[in-house]
Amino acid sequence: MTGLLAALRVETRKAAAALVLRVGGASLALGTAVLAAALVAAVETGNEQIAAKLGTFAEAAGWDLLIAIATQVVAAGALLAFGTTLGWSFGREFTDGTINGLPAIPVSRAATVAAKLLVHLMWTVIVAVSLVCLLIAAGLATGLGALDAPAAASLARLFALTLLTGLIATPAAWAATLGRGPLPGVTAAVALIVTAQIAVVAFPAQGAWLPIAAPALWAMQPTAVTGVQLLLAPVFALAFTAVTVSAWRRLQLDR
Amino acid sequence: MAERLAITDAVREYSADAGVLGASLHVAAGEVHALIGLNGAGKTTLMRAVLGMVRLDSGTVRIGGVPLDRVPTAAWSRVGHLIDHPFAYPDIDTRSNLAIAARLRTVPHGEVAATVEAALEYWGLAPYTAVRAATLSKGNRQRLGLAAAFVAGPDLAVLDEPTDGLDPAGVIALREALRDHADRGAGVLVSSHHLDEVARFADRISVMNHGRIIAALDPAGTDLEREFFALLLDDDAQRDLEAQA
Repeated sequence: MTGLLAALRVETRKAAAALVLRVGGASLALGTAVLAAALVAAVETGNEQIAAKLGTFAEAAGWDLLIAIATQVVAAGALLAFGTTLGWSFGREFTDGTINGLPAIPVSRAATVAAKLLVHLMWTVIVAVSLVCLLIAAGLATGLGALDAPAAASLARLFALTLLTGLIATPAAWAATLGRGPLPGVTAAVALIVTAQIAVVAFPAQGAWLPIAAPALWAMQPTAVTGVQLLLAPVFALAFTAVTVSAWRRLQLDR
Repeated sequence: MAERLAITDAVREYSADAGVLGASLHVAAGEVHALIGLNGAGKTTLMRAVLGMVRLDSGTVRIGGVPLDRVPTAAWSRVGHLIDHPFAYPDIDTRSNLAIAARLRTVPHGEVAATVEAALEYWGLAPYTAVRAATLSKGNRQRLGLAAAFVAGPDLAVLDEPTDGLDPAGVIALREALRDHADRGAGVLVSSHHLDEVARFADRISVMNHGRIIAALDPAGTDLEREFFALLLDDDAQRDLEAQA
């Protein structure tokens, strides 16, 4: 893959300057932590309206409730956030007019795609670490006390869910390439969320076989998803990576 | 003299009257070859085909004697180009944009900073090193795009309307850059609408009309504009006759 190191350096520099990434990551990590902590505080102080809105979640308490709410938010919110940032990373080249500078250089198109996805993965790790740290800080600030072992395991699953969601957002890169702009990437992310929700509701027994639904189902109910079903998420991401590389290789800049 | 670029019978047809419909030209080392024509003549499409941005329906492109589809990826470090938009990320400052261009042309890591500083000085961009591309004037963005195209000292440069947005000082800087690089052995293919400007920097001028190279103009000619339009009118009349036949 010619020029991968150069492409990685370039994509890292572009990511460091990207307001979209900072806003997307902060919205997901900080927004989730603040929202979850606020809801837990409301339940703990006896707010019945909030408890009623949370439904069966409100039966949990303390760290379990905090992490359950965060997991629920991340299940859909992370797909939207990562789909948006990934769609922007690919689509901006067309809307900024920089796409014309990417062919006819000693960096292959496959290397450009790989570098964008690897930087996206690094960004996903940073957001996942930030989310977990902020959630722990929010729990401590809310007065939930020390983290117990089951809660730590739930947090580890939330961390994994965030990473896996970053992976299953890969179709946004493909859609942004085909649609030649960030918006098709966002649309793809919304379509993934809707598809996952409908599939899980319509086919509850088979939902875990859907790679875009399995990580969230596993994070909320680990025994409901097998290892093989969970492994389909990275396989899904690899498949869409290949499709995106193919789309870039075939790309003709005639408009 | 070494051949930097050879295009033979290139066809990329969008319709019976649009695209590139059988164009041939050569650019030798040390030569600035200008391509002039009206809007829609096919200049940009031909340049895109040279750079592999669009695929030809038929015909061949050779860069440094190598067919386009066999040019090794690494060899593109010797080609600079500016097509349509300057290569500049709006949220990134001038210095970093040039560093990006240098890295993408695989300038060695240890040489990027010096290469960028030299380019900033050469193109008069030193006062704008920390300015984001989005806030640069159109002319300075164009200078940045030109600096990016030339940052690695190419053997072949392909520039589509490089004077677009440049002020008179920028046009002179471009003219000097084209001459400098050609004198060092680069071949340059430039498209333009500005006949007077082209006459000042080109060694050869090819006229393109309706997807074909129809004639050459002498850069030392006295009334290029009159000659240019006469060529277009003759070609259009000829095409009309052929269509009626």
